[in-house]
Amino acid sequence: MTSPLPALPIALPLLGAGLLAALRKWLSRAAADSLSIAVAASTLISSLLLLSHALQHTQVYWFGNWHPRGSVVLGITFVADPVAAGLSSLAGLLVFLALIFSWRFVDSGANHYHALMLVFLAAMDGFVLTGDLFNMFVFFELMSTAAFALCGLKTQEPAPLQGSFNFAVTNTVAAFLVLTGIALLYAVTGALNMAQIGLALGGRHDPLVLFAFTLLTCGFFIKAAIAPFHFWLPDAHAVAPTSVCVLFSGLMVELGLYAVVRLKSVIFQQTFASGETHLRYILLAFGGATILIGGVMCYAEHHLKRLLAFSTVCHTGLMLVIFAIQGPLAIAVMLVYLVAHAFVKSSLFFVSGIMLHRLRSISENVLFGRGRPLRWTAALWFLGGIGLAAGPCFSTMLADAGMSSASEEAGIHGLSWGLSWLFMFAGVMTCAAVFRVGMHTFAGWGDAPITDRSAQVGELPETEAEEQKVFWYHFVPPLVCILLAIALTFIPGWQYGVREAAARVYDQPAYLNMVYTGHSIPLTAPRSWRNEIPGAAIRGTIAVLLALCLACTSVFRGKLARGLRIGAFLEGPLTILRAVQSGHPGDYVLWLTVGLAVFGSATLIILR
Amino acid sequence: MPHILHSLPYFVAAWLFFCGLYGLVTSRHLVHSVICLAILQSSTYVLLLAIGYRVGGAAPIFADIAPGVLTVDPVVQALMLTDVVVEAVVVALLLAMVVKAYEKSGCVSPSELRTMRG
Amino acid sequence: MTDRLRLAIFLVAGPVFMGLYCYAAMNLPPWGQYRGPYGDMIAKLAVYERHATDTVNAINYDYRGFDTLGEEFILFTAVIGVMMLLRREKDVPTSPAGKVADRPPLSESVRAVISPALLITTIFGFYIGLHGQLTPGGGFQAGVILASAAILVYLAANTEAFKRTTSHVAVEVVEAIGAASYALIGIVPLLIGLPLLTNILPLGVTGDVLSAGNIALISACVGVEVTAAFLLVAYTYLEEIVTGEIPEE
Repeated sequence: MTSPLPALPIALPLLGAGLLAALRKWLSRAAADSLSIAVAASTLISSLLLLSHALQHTQVYWFGNWHPRGSVVLGITFVADPVAAGLSSLAGLLVFLALIFSWRFVDSGANHYHALMLVFLAAMDGFVLTGDLFNMFVFFELMSTAAFALCGLKTQEPAPLQGSFNFAVTNTVAAFLVLTGIALLYAVTGALNMAQIGLALGGRHDPLVLFAFTLLTCGFFIKAAIAPFHFWLPDAHAVAPTSVCVLFSGLMVELGLYAVVRLKSVIFQQTFASGETHLRYILLAFGGATILIGGVMCYAEHHLKRLLAFSTVCHTGLMLVIFAIQGPLAIAVMLVYLVAHAFVKSSLFFVSGIMLHRLRSISENVLFGRGRPLRWTAALWFLGGIGLAAGPCFSTMLADAGMSSASEEAGIHGLSWGLSWLFMFAGVMTCAAVFRVGMHTFAGWGDAPITDRSAQVGELPETEAEEQKVFWYHFVPPLVCILLAIALTFIPGWQYGVREAAARVYDQPAYLNMVYTGHSIPLTAPRSWRNEIPGAAIRGTIAVLLALCLACTSVFRGKLARGLRIGAFLEGPLTILRAVQSGHPGDYVLWLTVGLAVFGSATLIILR
Repeated sequence: MPHILHSLPYFVAAWLFFCGLYGLVTSRHLVHSVICLAILQSSTYVLLLAIGYRVGGAAPIFADIAPGVLTVDPVVQALMLTDVVVEAVVVALLLAMVVKAYEKSGCVSPSELRTMRG
Repeated sequence: MTDRLRLAIFLVAGPVFMGLYCYAAMNLPPWGQYRGPYGDMIAKLAVYERHATDTVNAINYDYRGFDTLGEEFILFTAVIGVMMLLRREKDVPTSPAGKVADRPPLSESVRAVISPALLITTIFGFYIGLHGQLTPGGGFQAGVILASAAILVYLAANTEAFKRTTSHVAVEVVEAIGAASYALIGIVPLLIGLPLLTNILPLGVTGDVLSAGNIALISACVGVEVTAAFLLVAYTYLEEIVTGEIPEE
């Protein structure tokens, strides 16, 4: 008797999506909403149950009852370790909150929206839980297709269509890169199961394995919006409805990084055993570039959702930098930051959705001063900004606290000051942007903001004009997210659980043993995580204050001496960066190719 | 020379991938971009099928041959079989975006449709 | 960024990438010498374990049936996406994207051939769909063939005839039910304690149409779903391009 639990997070939403699509014409809006929320809730519950089982013993599930014969794996497997089960619970929670947020008023595209959201949930769950490489690719494509379809919800203007087209083209190229990488690994090892591939590859690092690594990593970097593969993300966010943006920034983008972590740990662990330092420098280069580009462009944006999208780019770069430290503690810190960032970012997007619904615009220029009556919304917005800067009491600060321990374990303590600076830069730039928008909108301070083309694109409201009232249930999702982001700081048990789960991810022999025999071997006790919380809290407070100063120089630039107008200089025409973010799909594919060539050559030359 | 012949199908796959990327970068028509994606996909098919080929191997259908005869690899064929049909519909989805974009703005060239500038 | 600059940068990065690809490909096993254990093992086992002579479909619907479930739902999602993108907004004046004639401009001799072609195609489609576990074919291919048979109706007559043959509401319901039924077939083994998508139907005699257990049944469901999916896509496109009218919901 095998427990059906690992299959439920996929089977339930897929079945629900099929039913919703079949009954589409006959269900009222309320019935469709309720049914989809019920299915999402049941998926969330099954993911949480799976998590509780996985914490005791990783669940290995063989579809079709095809168990491995010797070392050859015949079927597809789900390996539900605590990280995977935890991420699938997070997916369930975010979809559940997003469906609550879009209750009744958001245009549902003739009731197609609900089925698409459930399919998206199933795809994310399958992507994290799977232990088979081609299965991961299938769920990657399912996630992407559901995302493209969801971006097609608003079709009244040409801008949304170009945004979704850019998104579709870049992510489809990503899928083909991943498939090519899988094909090369299959040719070498004759296997599609991740554990079997890892076993068969051993310590090979010939050009073929390195090139397969390049293809897989760059394909997933495109999904993770790492520079120079990030150009599609702001376009997609400008186009998608709020609840979909929450899922994109909250989880879908981060899953690209999760895939890189998983593949590096299971398949390429021994390949880079001798070249870890060199790999670190390559990943640091890409991550650092992402942080810089994302941070600066975030501050330069005036379209709220694009601004938040660039902040996602920046923070995902930060996650990559943390991962680049390498080692189980680094993975633990990255996962802590992933979860904390997911909650903070989702809360900000929900608040922007409230602003769009109530104030009928999402452009900083149009919103100037109009948000004065919305006090609760303002509070949530500013709290989200503090969360982005890893301010005190927010779980994002925990990542900063753990980073020095992680770099010590990896033996690069000298670099940790540089990493702290990058962390603070990311926090300051994104928080300053959020504060600036908040001061303009909710307080009406300062002069009218500088205009630019992207803000003029505007965004048609997602709801009908008659229903401008904001209901109590619109506040539940952002409130839940912010409260979780704060609460997680004070629950110590959660961090230790993540630390152990990350050690399990990092340990390739334990994973192989688990898949082939179903038994877990005891892990070496994780190194103590010297939590430098006071230091991190101080750095977080400094970051928030710096962000406030930067935002003020921008808001009150008319009253400042010319030399002090730093904010305005950053906001002004950044010709090169803006020209590169051109909206032309050919440009995006060009930079993608450049990134591929650079990453591939670097990997080959340095790691040979 | 024999070494190159041994890898020729893989070079073909690489060339197809390059052509698809080139088409995407220099495209002046959105429908052309979508078809370039189909070319990229063909490159992956060529690679997969070349990997699974065995000289002198039979087709993996045992309806008229005895089981135990050496066949080519059925796994890669299974992998790409469903992909072909599925990608046809995904291409339909992308073309629907193009059709709608043309309907709303009257142009199908990426350069003219520049509404998403940074 | 001008076209020339874009091309110039690409002509540097692209060949570098292609060079890496070719350099890596030279380390692949020589072409024509497939070595891997996975395919050989399944080729030897499928006939005995599942009584299926078509190994490719045995992989698709049994050994790696979960992948096919995901792929089928990609199809399902893409069709929903097409329907959602090309949906008619109320109160928005519609202008058909193109001016395609309602009746395809074909000569009479071609039209005369279409009717027997329609019959042959339909029979062929059913044959392919039902024999998936025995010979090359199966659900996906059968679905495409049957859908093209229905599209022949449009070619023979006009869009009105096509719409009469394929009721939009029924096709949509059938498509969703086809997708859900694959999930249901997978869930049934859960109820008896086996993992998802285990093959629990009787395996029958090798070579019979009714053999190989789940494989035949899943193949049929997939065939139904794919047919309906392609019909929906064709219907939605014809709606958008040809008539520009609001369909009765």
